[in-house]
Amino acid sequence: MPYLYGDPLKCTGCRICELYCSLCHERVLNPKKARLRVVRMEPAIDKPIACRQCADPPCAKVCPTNAIARNAAADMVAVDEAKCIGCGTCVEACPFGAIWLHPERKVAIKCDLCGACVPRCPVGALSIVTGEQFANRRRAELIARLKPIMLERVRVPRD
Amino acid sequence: MQFKYGGYTGQVLEVDLSRGKVVGNPLDPLLAREYLGGAGFCSRVLYDEIGPKTRPLGPENVLVIATGPLTGTLFPQASRHVVAAKSPLTGIWGEAHAAGHWGAELKFAGFDAIIVRGRSPRPVYLWIENGQAKIKNARRLWGCDVYETDAMIKEEFGDGSIKLLYIGQAGENLVRFAAVMNDLDRAAARTGMGAVMGSKRLKAVAVRGSRDIPIAKPESYLKLMDELREKMLADPFTQGRADYGTPSLVELMNEIGRLPTRNFQTGVFEHAEAIGGKTIRKRYLVKPRADFACIQRCGRYTCVPEGPYAYIGGSPEYETLSCVGSKCGIGDVEAILYAHHLCNRYGMDTCSFGGTLAWAMECYEKGIITKDDTGGLDLSWGNHASMVELVHMVARRKGFGNILAEGSYHAARKVGRGAEEYVMCIKKQEIAGQDGRAQKSMGLGNATAARGADHLYAFPVLDEVGFEKAIRERFGAKYLPEIGEKLNPKYKGLMVKECEDFAVVVESVGVCKYGTMIPPTFFYSDILRALNATTGMRLTERELRRIGERIVNLNRMFNVREGIARRDDTLPERLLKEPAPDGPPKGHVVELDQMLDEYYRLRGWDVKTGLPTRGKLRALGLEFTVKDLPRRKVAR
Repeated sequence: MPYLYGDPLKCTGCRICELYCSLCHERVLNPKKARLRVVRMEPAIDKPIACRQCADPPCAKVCPTNAIARNAAADMVAVDEAKCIGCGTCVEACPFGAIWLHPERKVAIKCDLCGACVPRCPVGALSIVTGEQFANRRRAELIARLKPIMLERVRVPRD
Repeated sequence: MQFKYGGYTGQVLEVDLSRGKVVGNPLDPLLAREYLGGAGFCSRVLYDEIGPKTRPLGPENVLVIATGPLTGTLFPQASRHVVAAKSPLTGIWGEAHAAGHWGAELKFAGFDAIIVRGRSPRPVYLWIENGQAKIKNARRLWGCDVYETDAMIKEEFGDGSIKLLYIGQAGENLVRFAAVMNDLDRAAARTGMGAVMGSKRLKAVAVRGSRDIPIAKPESYLKLMDELREKMLADPFTQGRADYGTPSLVELMNEIGRLPTRNFQTGVFEHAEAIGGKTIRKRYLVKPRADFACIQRCGRYTCVPEGPYAYIGGSPEYETLSCVGSKCGIGDVEAILYAHHLCNRYGMDTCSFGGTLAWAMECYEKGIITKDDTGGLDLSWGNHASMVELVHMVARRKGFGNILAEGSYHAARKVGRGAEEYVMCIKKQEIAGQDGRAQKSMGLGNATAARGADHLYAFPVLDEVGFEKAIRERFGAKYLPEIGEKLNPKYKGLMVKECEDFAVVVESVGVCKYGTMIPPTFFYSDILRALNATTGMRLTERELRRIGERIVNLNRMFNVREGIARRDDTLPERLLKEPAPDGPPKGHVVELDQMLDEYYRLRGWDVKTGLPTRGKLRALGLEFTVKDLPRRKVAR
């Protein structure tokens, strides 16, 4: 189950991702039409927020027209705009604030994992990962920190 | 109805504070084509609307806040807006620029620019959202600093994503170098635009929007922006900027002897390392904090965790470290960081504050100003406690601070007793962190800049540390090596003229000088391609260059109408007559006259008077200014 992860320690809050997202989805520049948002909070916090593609998505559960569902083939949560009535119940249900209404068309929009923003982030703060990959990364980071200590106790050839 | 060109919203908000009226008017497409936006838009609007009879702090002054067609777009570092009016500090052309997120949001809220006229009977602020604007009561905000105002308005609307532009107490109290601030720590700092806003009793402009910035050619646009982004990221300068921001210039400027120290007595400061980029990064940096769509992220957050100068907030730029630091002989970096934070909260230009204080400190050293004048404050070089105290006193116009709040030129006239001799101003504005004796192009650029002392109007930096390739591209190989030698006055007239023309284009499209002037990554051709893909204007490079020249000449004519001529394009005596005592420029003065001759000649201006000629003005489409040339002195 991959999702778009934004690293708050790398993010500088420039919001280039929002612009590219709206450009690629809507052919205009407008952060309010982007499928992800960067939240800036003082002091010094910048955090990109996008849909987590939940296994049991609350937005889908509360949708009165069944416009939102997990798409097993694409392995993500998708909105069927034809069914969406723009009631905004999904907006209330999402615990991350990661789904909202398009300012003009008034249909629910959210990250569709197109990945346009990922390589364009100037600081590499964005990635599409699964929980498994994320935890792997964390484990590897931890072990990398412990490596020098462990190497002191292991006999390996040194340069 | 959609505007003729992409990139623009096509609407200008006109506010009459005397009558309490707001109206959105369509932007004139011809104005957009001839002046682009930003600085160019301001130059034309103000030339038409104000003049020699306008009192800078009177209700008749007009305050213009303008974005450019690239503001809020994906062009690297396109987050700029311009604030302009007649300056209360200099009495001539006033203009200041800032980045942040506000300018982009103004466009998403449906306006390219705001023109503010008149004076409100009571404190107000503007609320702008999706093409609508309202004048709202600001009584409870009046007297609050920038941080407090930011929090209060966001709380009122229950939305932390609102973007704000505002003044602090310095603007309310008409400090002549008050800044217009935005997004907490971003400053349109110079020429006292904050005092103009304060005189209109306009506390803040709050914006929120969900409108589009349309793109003329979306397909080629995406490809082009990818290309420009990669080009910017590949520049070796970008990582250095991201790591250190501009504070690393302290060490560099000290090395080349250009770091003004003790009111320009020298350009080499013994405590440069203590207040420089490496120290700040190592001990105080929290993280780089980018403005809208900025790739270089030189903006940053710093924190002094404890002690009398504890704070967390925006980090100072090089100019602040120089003006509040070395220029006042202050080597205590925590005091400088804190003073910078206070200046931001009060909304005050750190360059002019530091410059004015440095003047007072030299007068104190010479016995012209004593403790009787200062109310007991010790103004010895390096006294950081007095410096921090004076930030409060100037912003609140208390005691001796009330005199310094006038800026050093006006303050010296009040003090008398020979204090004028130590004023380091050009056209009444304090020189920032640049000693022209160490870099002749900077000396000339400061003398010719439209808004008084100003390193940014031309921003000639390619001779600083040898950008030979860019020099060859931008000015021509035949001027090498002299043009690249910072201590050689030769060809600096050419350099400054060319840099001015390009820099006003940069400020008019809404782009940062970092990435265009230094590092010299993007030049006319890049801006042209971006401009055409964004707007669909189909400009040629020749037209774009002509627009730059037109804006510089129009700014000049604004000042000519105010009585400015060659005699005013000068530097303080110290830089012209006292040889630099230390470092690489040792023994050097600024050879201003010879550089000015070359500059005027290349500008097509009269060399004797420094006035644009009729022919030049006509050629640039500035026919309407010819009537404002002084009658008798007009050149052929």
